[in-house]
Amino acid sequence: MGMDVTRPFLDLWTKGNRYGTEFSVDMELWPNLFPVFESGYDIMKIKTSLIDYKSNGSYSRLGIDYNLLQAEHETDKDILFVGLRYGFTLARQQVNNYQIDSYWGPDIGRFGSQNYSAHWTEFLIGLKGEVFHNLYMGWTIRGKVKIHQTDLGLPPVYFIPGFGKADKKFNLDFTYSIFYNLPWDFRKSIKGKKTDNKK
Amino acid sequence: MKQLLFLIGALIALTACKEVYENPPQALVRATIWNSSTEAELSSKVSIHGIGYDNYWVKDSTIQKILLPLSPMDTSNYVFSFDSYTDTIIFIHTKKLKYESMETGLYYEYQLKSVDYTKNRLDSVEITDSLVTTIWNENIKLYLHPLSSAIN
Repeated sequence: MGMDVTRPFLDLWTKGNRYGTEFSVDMELWPNLFPVFESGYDIMKIKTSLIDYKSNGSYSRLGIDYNLLQAEHETDKDILFVGLRYGFTLARQQVNNYQIDSYWGPDIGRFGSQNYSAHWTEFLIGLKGEVFHNLYMGWTIRGKVKIHQTDLGLPPVYFIPGFGKADKKFNLDFTYSIFYNLPWDFRKSIKGKKTDNKK
Repeated sequence: MKQLLFLIGALIALTACKEVYENPPQALVRATIWNSSTEAELSSKVSIHGIGYDNYWVKDSTIQKILLPLSPMDTSNYVFSFDSYTDTIIFIHTKKLKYESMETGLYYEYQLKSVDYTKNRLDSVEITDSLVTTIWNENIKLYLHPLSSAIN
């Protein structure tokens, strides 16, 4: 089980006020193969003198990681991995007000709440290492390729939770997560089964 | 330690830069001034203000080309002064809301339907391109009587 510690601080390196939370669950179901489920919630706000925008929504990703490292012993769970994800989100955006300035004075308007969905794929590479007993830290670098998003007309979708800016077909992202390994040793149980079969 | 300071500095720089937003583009009417007798380009001392507005859009500038903002209403009513001869020009138009980005905001583009005007210094007005966009290509030609024949 993991939590991405970068999501609450996205505000520091993205335009607008973006922050969120993300949790993940993975398990070595087959040797070196880790099915993964990630789920999170993203908020994006932009407030200037000309526009007040908010987008928020939850997203989920399903995928698999493949460990490229050869474990030296059965307790070695440090991994260098490549992965694949399918992500989707249900979100909403709202322009609470906008202002168009001109010689004739400001013209003010607003757009009501707009619901939208989007889905995308992710290709990633990452590292995960044990820092304390059953406590792991790791990062991923993710290339995200958009598959489809709802066409809202005016204003178009600006931000896709879990993906990033909607006007881009490709987004690059970075995550840094802490993980807790539930003390259930899959490798031992596999080995145990194999030994039982030999008998 | 140096690396840590560099990282902190970079983060501060990033956060300091991130809230800089550009203003949206503006769709402006581009008007050019012509001599109605010779049909040559003409420069005139121009002042322009909206009817009911005290502040001038252009004040005593000797120009041949003018960029004009249109109102978010259906008409834009201007008082023009060409070398101290005053005319009223009324632009009748429709507008369309355009989206630039969430960072910069929205703006209007317009389509000129017609132009009404008084005929003091103005002889005629020709719409050359009815679409008023952010490209600022020529939209109207203002033909002025030569100063010698202008009616006061």
